[in-house]
Parts: sequence; structure tokens; C-alpha cells
Amino acid sequence: MIKFHPSEQQLVEYVAGDLSAAMLITVGTHIDMCPHCQGHVQDIEEQLSQRLFGDPMAAPASWSANLDMMVDAIIKSPAPAHRSLDDSDNYLFLEGKRFELPATLARNYHRIGSWHKMLGKMWRAPVNLGSDEVLNFIYMGSGAQVPEHTHKGHEATLVINGVFVDETDEYRDGDFVLLDGSHKHTPQTQQEDCLTLATLDAPLHFTSGLSRLLNPFSSLFFK
Amino acid sequence: MQLVTEAITSRKTMSSARPEDPEHAADLLARIAADQSRAAFSELFRHFAPRLQAYATRQFGNEQTAKDLVQETMANVWHKAHLFKPDRGSAATWIFTIARNIRFDILRKNKYRQHDLSADDLWPVLAEQNESLDDDYALDQDLLMQQLAVYCDQLPDAQRVAIQLIYIEGKSQQEVADALSIPLGTVKSRTRLAIQKLKELIHSDD
Repeated sequence: MIKFHPSEQQLVEYVAGDLSAAMLITVGTHIDMCPHCQGHVQDIEEQLSQRLFGDPMAAPASWSANLDMMVDAIIKSPAPAHRSLDDSDNYLFLEGKRFELPATLARNYHRIGSWHKMLGKMWRAPVNLGSDEVLNFIYMGSGAQVPEHTHKGHEATLVINGVFVDETDEYRDGDFVLLDGSHKHTPQTQQEDCLTLATLDAPLHFTSGLSRLLNPFSSLFFK
Repeated sequence: MQLVTEAITSRKTMSSARPEDPEHAADLLARIAADQSRAAFSELFRHFAPRLQAYATRQFGNEQTAKDLVQETMANVWHKAHLFKPDRGSAATWIFTIARNIRFDILRKNKYRQHDLSADDLWPVLAEQNESLDDDYALDQDLLMQQLAVYCDQLPDAQRVAIQLIYIEGKSQQEVADALSIPLGTVKSRTRLAIQKLKELIHSDD
């Protein structure tokens, strides 16, 4: 049972595409793993499309003469490239173990860099996003401990497989944890190992994002 | 829940022959997919393109980029109409997700160029889907079935008939379409709207 979810605001920004690339992948992977949030995402999509398309309005005057031409141009346009879901690369192999990747990560398999040993029983592999954002797989063998630390900005951690604990709680498959500078913690594994995806949250400033279409009483809707 | 109920009510009062009507919009997409119907596409274009244009102009502050978004979104609607699944969401929502993807790619392309994340990597709206991905949804329907008897009577007639034929008589959606002489897309969207309505009824009893 997943205990920790992205906030409603984060789900809205995910649907709108207004989160940073690293957060989009992290939140998207949580959604892959979480039927509860899948339901919310469907509702949010419906809401945003309602906001976008719901108002009555007429085509601009200049269009009416050209409408047939515009429709023609599209009908004669070449079909966009055919894309298919390739599910051959769904597994990560590390330390003699095999981890199944949720759909969002499987689609981005080609971005996963090579594993490097950090301190102790910890390994790290970057997910290359083509920008300066930081997104990493972190693997902790059983009985590993990260020295106490705080965070600059926000750090989001998603458990892909296994379990880790800190001073406040226990985090398992699918749990999404967002920590900021006010949190101090010492994550560690016990009997089980743990594979996580971790990112520093550096939001892009799309001040006119789609998510602004959604007004504050969404909480009524997502009770 | 208020918002959803209002949305459903306002849909019901609309004329059934306009793209604002979810069943009609789903039918238009089905006709594009099955027969490359130019008339159906024109109708969708007339409804959705101006709204997309207004939205994209606000977003980009640039007429040309806005036109690109409209053009690309509607080109996908035309060429990829077969990927629309009426039982997974409304036509408007599907078109919204296409526009969302295209906006994302336009914004990122300006910023980072190649090797960058594309919308397809995040939201595979336009990927050829595997039918087995519908399994989650089927499970959802099973749960709802247990409540059907209680709530069924509150559905609009057309939706109730579809639900009864499918869940009580065990007909396939195609068989229902044949029996009622209506398009398959209509059966699917009636089923979807009915299930949505039932979910609301169940929630409102919590």
C-alpha cells in the first residue's frame, strides 16, 4: 500500500506538463505504480480539457473563408511518424539482482547512464535528461546508511523497489517523498535493499502554464 | 464532486448534434478512423481549432507558434484518430492531451534542442497501444458492477440500456451497437459516461 503521494498541485502540473523534466519522470513513475493517482490524473485531464474547450466561442472572422483550405492542408499532410511502445528494455540489473522498471522509466531506458559506486553499499546511475537537471537512481544495499543531511531546494525521492527508513517513517515501493531545507534526515536500509529515483526539484518557470487553467477549488473535486 | 455533476448536467442539455456533446465527438473520431470522413473532421476542426488557437496565442504570445500548435494537434487528430479509445476518456480530453504534448515539445525544443526529453517519453498518447493495457480499467468495471443494481435506475435511459445489455445480458459492445443500430463509438462513450455517473453516485453516498 503506497502511503506517500505527490501533492494535488504536483499532479495538476504533471498533467499540464509544467513540472521540470526530472520531476515529470519522477511523478510519472509514481503514477505508473499508483492506481489511486491514476484516477486523479484522469479527473485532472478531464478538468483541464473542460477549461480549455468548454467556453462557447466562434472561429475568428478571417478563418471562415480559409476553413476548407486549412482542413485540406491537414488532410493532405504526411502522417506523423509511427511510434510504438517498445517493452524490451524493462529491467535494470545491479549487484546480481533484476529490477523491473515502471512504464515511464522503461520508455526512458536509453537515458540511464552507467552505475558508479558511491560510499559504502551505495550505487548511483544518472538519468540523462539533456539539460542540467539532476535525476539519479540510487541503490542502497541492505544495512546501508546515508550520513545525516538536509536539502537545498526540494528533493524528491521515489522508492522503485525495496524499503528504506529515516527518523520519521518507513518508505516502500511507490512511496513519493518530498523534502526541503527544513528537513534533516538519515535514510538507511535494514534487512532489505532499496532502489530509488531521486531528483532535486528545480521547477521551470512557465508562469502561464496550463495548470493555471485550474482554479483553487479543485480541492472540492479531489476530496 | 459539484463540478463534475454540473459538467454532466450541462452536457445533457446540449444538442446531441454538436461536438460539445461527448458522444457526438466520439462518433466523429470513429468516422475519421473508419472512413477518413472529411465532413467529420471539418466539424471537429471547426469546434476545437479556434479554441486551441486562442489558448496557444495566450501561451506563446506569438501567432505563428500558436498556428503551429493548432496545425500539429489537428494533424494528429486526423491521422491518429484510430488511437482514440472512447472507454478511456472523452474526445475533448484526448485532444487536450495531444495539444499538451505538442506544447511541451515546442517549449522544450526552443530551450534545449536534441537529446532532450520529448513528450512521447512521458505521455504515450500517440503510441500504438497494446490492448492488454486496458486490464486495469476492466478491473475497475468489475468493482462498480456490484453497485450497479442500486444505482442503475438513476442513469439516463440511453446509458442504462447500454449498461444493462452489457453487464446483465452479457453482450459485447459491438453486439449492443448492432442491436440498437448505433455506432460502436456511441456504445463505448455511453458506457463510459454511465460508469462515470455511477462512480459519482457511489462517491456521493460515502
